Amino acid sequence: MTITPAEAQMSATEKLNGFPPAVTESYLAFAESGEASRLDHVVLGVLQFYLAQPPPQPLVELPGTTRLVEDLGCDSLTMVDTLFLAESLFNIRLADDELARVSTLDDLRGHFQRHIMGQAEMTA
Amino acid sequence: MRTTRVVVSGIGFVTSIGNDRATVSRNLRELWPGIERFDFLPGTELPVKVAGTIKGFDTTAPQWAGWRWPAGYTIPKDVLRGLPPHGLYAFCALEQVIADSRLTAEILVDGETGLFCSSAGSPRLMRQYLNQIHDSRGERIAPMSVVSSIAGTLNFNFAAHYGIRGAVAGFASACASTTQALGYGFDEITLGRQRRILVVGGEDLSWESIYTFHGMRALSRNPDPARASRPFDRDRDGFVGTGGAVALMLEDADSAQARGASIYAELLGWGQASDGSSVAITHPEGQGLARAMRRALDSAGVTPAEIDYVNAHATSTPTGDLSETRALQAIFTAAGARPPVSSTKALTGHGLSMAGVMETAFCALGLAEGFIPGNANLENPDPACEGLNLPRTTVSHAPRLVLKNSSGFGGSNACLVLRRWES
Repeated sequence: MTITPAEAQMSATEKLNGFPPAVTESYLAFAESGEASRLDHVVLGVLQFYLAQPPPQPLVELPGTTRLVEDLGCDSLTMVDTLFLAESLFNIRLADDELARVSTLDDLRGHFQRHIMGQAEMTA
Repeated sequence: MRTTRVVVSGIGFVTSIGNDRATVSRNLRELWPGIERFDFLPGTELPVKVAGTIKGFDTTAPQWAGWRWPAGYTIPKDVLRGLPPHGLYAFCALEQVIADSRLTAEILVDGETGLFCSSAGSPRLMRQYLNQIHDSRGERIAPMSVVSSIAGTLNFNFAAHYGIRGAVAGFASACASTTQALGYGFDEITLGRQRRILVVGGEDLSWESIYTFHGMRALSRNPDPARASRPFDRDRDGFVGTGGAVALMLEDADSAQARGASIYAELLGWGQASDGSSVAITHPEGQGLARAMRRALDSAGVTPAEIDYVNAHATSTPTGDLSETRALQAIFTAAGARPPVSSTKALTGHGLSMAGVMETAFCALGLAEGFIPGNANLENPDPACEGLNLPRTTVSHAPRLVLKNSSGFGGSNACLVLRRWES
């Protein structure tokens, strides 16, 4: 774990102000449980909030092969915004060259699971 | 011989005295102020206690996701993410002006529409982002940190959002900025380069933007919101800061009329001149401002005696108001003219780079609706103001010709002459 529940509580108040409550709830729950599914809900929830055009259904319900740019209209700044906030929430640092390999929802999930949980095999 | 007539064909307000035209007009007439007690840095005992506050918005959250604004504005997230707090205000003011002047999306992108903006940038966001970079030893740099915080942020954001393909520029002459923007907008239209120019000014209301002026003791330390901003008063002790945004459409009259837009006033001419004396203090005799007024009057082809109202720059600082007084005496008193002079900063506070476009919009309202705002809070006129006509209450006389003054750091002075619209 990269954050404690107490740190997550403080971080959520500061950094998730204005985000949908479900994102905050998932973030706090992940800090408590470390469950990969909670992490997915945070990362995809942040991305969904940042998207200029709402997706046809919640990102967590879309196929993992959904492409960020072509299918969701995610531009590079939205992607960087998402990664920047997630880095800050989980107190991690992602290498810039890794970002170029993130092109689908599964890539995004796997990316954070590897960095935060250190369990590449958990990628959905 | 200039044949193009330049008019004000739309106005949008997010100010301390109102967030729509009707409210602003009512508060100008009734001299109802927008200044309140304001805690610049909670947990401290700063000597500056008041500000012209923006109602209906909450931009205190560090991230845009936590900001709130009045119902009725739909702000795309891909726009919001690049905005500073005053950019949010400016978005709302621009939406008002676009609706008010009946602009369509097609007109905005036709290449005949330009965008001139000014703000100080967002010192608050800049501090926040620079602290983040420093504290993370360079590892965390928010993607939109530059475009959302530096001067120019308004033109960057809104040129992109609205697809402006005409002239786009930012102005950085401090408190003379948006008056210059209006002047150069006038030139673009009269020279036939553009048919219309949107002029936008905005400022954050934060300790980083405003309280820093206390370093030069320019802010009022009077804790009474009803008396702190008192231009031309003997007991004035500094300005009261405010934030907000104002947008105004300058346009070729033929274009505005063809579209059926409301016309508030005609911009007849403008002038500017620099003091060439001090980085931060206006010339003691107001020489630069007097030259700017003279040039504006000459540009408009009118005499001092024809001016029915002067909306002064007067911010309520001891030295600034005195220097403007000297300049007004040199132009008007010396010519035997006594037009009413008032500073609406007594109501709003000083909007820095936004002040020029905000007060020009006030003048346009006065010309269109037939009133002259009085000098709120003026109890004991400074004896140095002898010869000036400083009404304390609103004058129900419809002005025909109005002069608007602005002065900024470095001695920049810019003045506009507006006329009641007569088609």
